[in-house]
This record gives sequence, structure tokens and C-alpha cells, in this order.
Amino acid sequence: MARDWQPDFEQLVDEHQSMVFSLALRMTGDRGLAEEIAQDVFMELDRNLSRIESPLHALCWLRRVAMNRSSDALRRRKVRGMDLWVEMEEGHGARIEKNESRSALGLGVRLEHLLTTLPEPQRAALVLRYQEDLTQEEIAATLEAPLATVKSHLQRGLKLLRARATDQLKEFVRAKEQVRGL
Amino acid sequence: MDDFERDQFERDQFERELKQAFQRRPAPPSLKRKLMEQRGRQHTGRLRFRAVMWQRLAASVLLVAALGGGLAWRNREEQRKGEAAREQVLTALRITCHALDRVKIQLAEHDRGTQ
Repeated sequence: MARDWQPDFEQLVDEHQSMVFSLALRMTGDRGLAEEIAQDVFMELDRNLSRIESPLHALCWLRRVAMNRSSDALRRRKVRGMDLWVEMEEGHGARIEKNESRSALGLGVRLEHLLTTLPEPQRAALVLRYQEDLTQEEIAATLEAPLATVKSHLQRGLKLLRARATDQLKEFVRAKEQVRGL
Repeated sequence: MDDFERDQFERDQFERELKQAFQRRPAPPSLKRKLMEQRGRQHTGRLRFRAVMWQRLAASVLLVAALGGGLAWRNREEQRKGEAAREQVLTALRITCHALDRVKIQLAEHDRGTQ
């Protein structure tokens, strides 16, 4: 049977590049790596373009591959012990910078930063839930995980993120009070 | 508002903040350009690879045909040589047979003369 819809690579890039990039960015917390992942994902789409049957299929396919590629990238980064030092230094630098301009930091950025401190499965579930607005069933299908596992990851992730956000807020208030006291 | 309601309210509020914070970020402007360039390179590479593969296939077909032709020619040549040798042997046998017949006739004439 002939298909009515013919995939157009450039159009698919235009429509979904921000989705793929944002998923990779929130999963890895690294802009450069996220851009690399987005490139890989779209190049794989190009190779599999003949198998894409509809715009919805393209969207789901891109989401699933972006999540898989991000997990692969994180796993590779864990294996490469050498990079750990670079990351620690970068993290330290960022922390200093953050302390200097903490008041300028928006809630969104703080939450995004806290998100990167969560375990990977919880982070994946939260990103798909709150960035992509997926239901628990859709998240389970995207991550190819049992529904109960996804529910548990969402619950725990949300709880952990909320606790960390509250801690950070308290720390921020305490620091501000200390500044006032001086 | 009791504790449970307050907790529920705070949780909903937090989820709303999360949704707001987790809006999609615009991709870097260079991403699309890089992708299209990479795609162009890969397509050119793929076309070149296909051309090379066809060339290799054609060369292989030619080689196989030449080898096959050579083998067939060699077989036919050997067969032809065999046939020629057989013909020569038959001719030699015919000549020998003819010579023997003549000797036989001469001997018979000689026997008749002596009687």
C-alpha cells in the first residue's frame, strides 16, 4: 500500500531539533555533547527515513533514539575515567560562578541544574514527563520500561528533586541573611 | 488548610514550576547547518561508494568471464588436439593395414608361383 505522507528530512529537522536538543541537554547537562547527540540522532533518522511512516512515528522515533543516545553518551562518559577530572573542574568553576551570581539565577536554571544531580532513570522519566508532557504509559513505551518502574522513577525523582530544591532555597535564604548580618 | 492539603498544593505548585522550567530550549542555530552539511557529505560519500561498488562488480564480472572463456578455450583446444591425434593414429593404422594387405597379396602370388 502506498503511503500518503513522504518524510522530508529538512522539515523534520526544523520541527524537532529543539525537542531532540533539549532532551539531550537535560539528560547530559552538557551543551556540546547535546549538540553532538542531536546530530547523531538526525543522521540516524536520515539513514532510516524510508522506514518512517507518519509525522507521529517520526516524533516518537526521534524521542526514543534521543533518549537512547543520551544514555549511551552518559555511559561512555562514566567509562572514560580521564574526563572525570575535567568535569569536576568544570563543575567547581560553575559552582563558584553560581555563588557569585546566585541571585541572578532563575528558578528554571536552578531546577535544570538540580535535575542533572538525579540518577539517570529518574531524570529520564522526569524530562519526558515535564518537558514532553507525556503520560506514564507513553514514557514507559519510549523508555521501553515497565509501567510500574516508570511510576516509581517519577515518584522518587520528583520527591528527590523537590527535597533538593527546598534545601537549596533554605541555603540561599541563610546565605542572604548572613550577608545582611555583615 | 490542613497538612495534607498544603502538601498537595505545594506539590502541584512544584509540578507547575517544573513544567515551566522544562520548556524546550531552542537548538543552536548552527545545528541545522551542520546537519545539512554532514548529510550532503554522507550522500556524496554514499554515491561514490556505490559507483566504486558497481565498478568493482563490473571488473569482477569481466574477470570471471575472461577466466571462464580461457578455460573453455583450453578445454576445446585439448579436445581438438585429442581428435587430431586420434585421426593420426587411425590414418597410421589404415596405412599399416593397407601395407599388410599388399604383403599378404604378394605372398599369395609368390606361393602360387612356386607351386
